[in-house]
Order: sequence, then C-alpha cells, then structure tokens
Amino acid sequence: MNLAVHDMRHNWGRFLATSAAIGLLFTVVLAMAGIYQGLVDDATVLLDRMSADLWVVQKGTRGPFADPSRLDPTVQLRLASVPGVTRARAFTHQVLQRDHHGRQLRFALVGLSLPEDHGETLPLVAGRALGQTHGEIIADASLKLSVGEKVTLGRDDYRVVGLTRQVLSSGGDAVMFASLVDSQRIVAAESSDSLIAERARRLARLRATDLGRSQPALEALTDDPRWLSPAVAAPPIHAVLLTVPAVHVAQVQATLARWTDIEVWSRADQDRLVLQGMVEKARMQLGLFAVILVLTSSLLLAAVLYNLTLEKKHDIAVLKLLGARRARIAGLVLQQAWVIALIAYLVALAIGSQAFPHFPRRVVLTDTSVMGVGMLLFAISTLASVLGVVYALRIDPGPVLEG
Amino acid sequence: MEALRAEHLDKRYGQGDTEVWALRDVALTLNAGEIVALLGPSGAGKSTLVKILGLVTTASDGDLWLQGERVLERGKPVTDVGALRRNHLGFVFQKANLIPFLTARQNVELACEIGERYSPRARAKELLTYLDLEHRADAYPNTLSGGEQQRVAIARALANQPALILADEPTAALDSIRGRSVMELLRRVAHEQNTSVLVVTHDHRALDVFDGTFEMEDGRLSTKRNHVGA
Repeated sequence: MNLAVHDMRHNWGRFLATSAAIGLLFTVVLAMAGIYQGLVDDATVLLDRMSADLWVVQKGTRGPFADPSRLDPTVQLRLASVPGVTRARAFTHQVLQRDHHGRQLRFALVGLSLPEDHGETLPLVAGRALGQTHGEIIADASLKLSVGEKVTLGRDDYRVVGLTRQVLSSGGDAVMFASLVDSQRIVAAESSDSLIAERARRLARLRATDLGRSQPALEALTDDPRWLSPAVAAPPIHAVLLTVPAVHVAQVQATLARWTDIEVWSRADQDRLVLQGMVEKARMQLGLFAVILVLTSSLLLAAVLYNLTLEKKHDIAVLKLLGARRARIAGLVLQQAWVIALIAYLVALAIGSQAFPHFPRRVVLTDTSVMGVGMLLFAISTLASVLGVVYALRIDPGPVLEG
Repeated sequence: MEALRAEHLDKRYGQGDTEVWALRDVALTLNAGEIVALLGPSGAGKSTLVKILGLVTTASDGDLWLQGERVLERGKPVTDVGALRRNHLGFVFQKANLIPFLTARQNVELACEIGERYSPRARAKELLTYLDLEHRADAYPNTLSGGEQQRVAIARALANQPALILADEPTAALDSIRGRSVMELLRRVAHEQNTSVLVVTHDHRALDVFDGTFEMEDGRLSTKRNHVGA
C-alpha cells in the first residue's frame, strides 16, 4: 500500500494546488534557462545564416555586431581578388524602427550584395530570394508582414518577396534583408526639406571661401553627386563576408593580416565576440537571477514538505506504534516530495510551452535545459525532503498513547 | 499460558533532589485470553506503565517478557522493538487514531502489511466481519461514528494476532452505552482470540467486563484482584 499516493488522492486538491504553485516557480526557472539559450541563439543566428568563413571589418574594430565598423565599398573588390577567396560579399547591418500602418516595426536591416548574394542561403518559409537590386525585401515572419505586402521605408516602397523564420539579430530584433544599395538608401534617406537645408549649408560653406567667391561657377557642383560632402557621401559598408574553402582559410587570413586597413575575424571569432561582448552580462544577470530563484524555490519546497510532514506527525506516530519500518516512513515523505516535484515539473512544462512563444524575447527550450530543470527539481525535492524525513524518524509515538 | 510478565520495573525522571519515581518496583503477569483493567488516579503512572509495556519508552530498571521472550533487560530493549510491535503488540487509544486518508478496510490492511503475517485483504475482511463493520469497510474515518472508529482501531490492533493489546482509556471519548459496547467487544476479543488485553480506564461502571484489575498509586501497582464470575 503506497501511503503517499493514498494521502495525495484523498487530499488531491491541496496537493495539486501546492504542486501547481511550485510548478509556477519552476516555470520561471525554465524561462530563465530558455531566455538565456534564446539570447545565445539570437546572438549567433545571423552569423549562421550569413554562411561566411571570414568576416572582414574596419581595422582595430570587432565589428560589425559587437563594435561599429565602416569600410570603403572598394574593399569588397580588393578582397575578391585575393587568391583563395571564392566569394566576397559586402554586408551592412543597421537597427531601424519605422512606422508601418500605425504599427512600429523594429528590425535589423541587412544589406545583401547582389548579384553575389540573393539571400538564397536564408531559411525561407514563404516566397523567394531577392530577384532584383531595387524594391524587394525579405522579412522575418515575426514582423507579421506577408509576401507581396508593400512597406514604405525612407522615400521608396518595397515589396516583401520572401519570409524567413527565426532570423534575428544579436539584439533579438527580426532581420529584414534588402539589396546593399537599397539598405544604404533606406538608412541614408532624408526628407526633401533636410536635403534643401543641406544644399544651402553646402553653398554657404563654399561662399565663405575665397575660392567660392572668386569662382561662382563652382556652385553648380554642389548638386553633383560626385562632389557631395562627406555628410551625404556614398555610405560605407560595415563588413565584407568571404567564402573561402577550408584548406585556404589559414593562408587567406595570413595574407589579409598584412593589410593595414582591415581586421579579419573567423566565424568562431565572431561567435566569441558576440557572446562574450554582448551576451555575457545578460547571461550573468540571468544566471544570478536563476540561482536566487532556485534557492528561493528550494527553501519554499523544503518548507512545504516539512509542513506536510508536520501535519502527518500523528499518523507517523501511529505507523511507528504499528511497527512500520523506517523505510516505509521515510518513503511516505520522499515519495510525496517526488510526486509533487513531478507534477510541478509537468505544470512548468505545460505553462512554459503555452506561454513562452508569447514572450517578447525568444525562449529556447533545449533538451538539455528541459532535462536539467527536471533533474534540478528532483534533486531539490530529495534534498528538501531530508528535513522532513529526519523529523519523521525522530517523532516520539509516546504522546499519541496519551491521547 | 503467560502472555506478559514484568518484574521490578522502575521509571525515574531527573536526578538527586529533583528525582521523581513514576514507577516503583512494578511486577505484573497477564495470561493469554484475559482482559485486565488498570485503575488509578491521574498521575499514578498508568500511562507510563503502558508506554513501557508497549515498548514506546524504556524503563530505568526491570525486566519484561512477552510470550516467554525477554524483551527488556534492566530496563533496556534487548531485541528489535519494531518487530516486537509488529508481531506481539496491538494498541487502542483514547482517540481511535486511524489514518485519516485511508478507509476503514485500508487502515486494517496497512497493519497487516506492516506485520507481514497475513494476506492484508483477506485478514482485513475477516476482522471487519468479526467486528460487524463489513458494511463500513470503505468509509473514511471522518464519516464513522466514535464507536465505529474504536471498533476499526480494535480490528487494526488485532491485525497480526498480537499476544497483548494495550488500550489506554479507549472509552473516554464515548458515551456510556458506546463505551460499554467497546469494553464488551474487547472482552470478546480477549476470550475468543486468546489475546491478553490490558485496559487503562477510569470508568468503574464497566468493571464487570474485566477478568481482573490492577490499581496504581504513586507509581506502585497493587496485586491483581481477580473478578470471580466475570
């Protein structure tokens, strides 16, 4: 006869409520683990999707994600000619927040350098890759745009031609892909008034010089794109992504190490930079929070189990008078702890699977984290019930005889 | 046949000036199949004696035999107390002390399981039938009357055919009619099951059901007075 099960069946409402309360606590522990894994996944998913062997960025920087990086677009052409490099793609990355039919769209805009990269390696769940250099975008499904929908960005309209799933930037924002030219145009787009104001400022600067005053014909050049001042010059790119066969990676890295205007990072380097630089503090924060939560949950669970044992003091005394073995008495406390832990675990999984998809940040439950939380709960419930078991085994049945 | 024999049982609390004697040189013998009352005022040492006989607490000195087997020597247990409780002892308390989350039948089955002597289901059915409780077998304790609860407690005490049942004021929480009914049931159990029953009681109205009585005062036990024709 399993006393633990009989007790729980008889008082199922109370046991269920207790287990559910503990389950809610462990839902938060599970969420912590999931949010941490989500941070790591989000931080590296774009690195995965861009499928580059080497990332070339501005000298002295750890760009383009952990650090701002600016490269002249001509670097792409120079890199494409390096022996061993099979493909060089320009890459831009900018986080933007724009209005779309009264809804705020926050996204990371990534520029793909067509025709080298149409986005064909992206995990498309609908539509197609970019087919032309202007007017098309690929958006992540989390932005809730549909294929064929028009989005106004800057001064132009763009049509959604493809949808990806779970392609996010290191900050957790959905990624939108456009051609490199379009991405630069969207980022640099200014209103007509600000263009007129800038033209006036340029003219004023020219007229303030002796050359401008003596050569009025120069004023015509202020509208010529080839003479634009740096404020509206052709925007730079943020990185160049190199595709290099594995056997040539070391050789290409050695070659590029001699270039004085660039920095080369491998894929593994980028993972490290992103995770250590951007996620580390959040990871530690989550970790410490999780530790406090686990300690709190453990103490609560211990208190609950201890109280359950206190309530059974009389019954345990009777069991002792009946001659029950210590294992049966300890089993009553332990088995209840395990059943409560099991129900709490199932509650945590059930609530988590329903609630986590609605969290603003991605919550990724891996087999390891799900198993880990289960093992943790089992270990905590076992440890927490030790107090109860010790108490139960020390109960003096004498007072029961005295009524 | 001798079910229980105690010799020179002492129980002292404290030391020196604060020393209190709860039991002094107690000796008693109970035969199989007899029901004996233990009378005395509060504080006389009745409960202490029952606790020592039930191996719930140790004595300061003295020896105890259960069915001829020495279980206390100079006040200390010389054998596995748990096994003795399982195999030789049954308890009935003032309150029935049934496990509240088990039915009447399950309470008896649990005792059988712990004793490991009989098939729990069959033995529980047999005992509940014997005590006229079969119709209440699946009732939980909180739905049983006080008298029914005490009968279930008696069934549980009988589960492993003990040599001795210790009953500590089993009728204190019952009215006189139900109290007498429980006393008569204990007498029936003693005589029919050949079990020795020691009942601590204040109820002098039911003394006629006992085969004999002991009186306690200031930790000392009187000689057993046998009731002729009881």
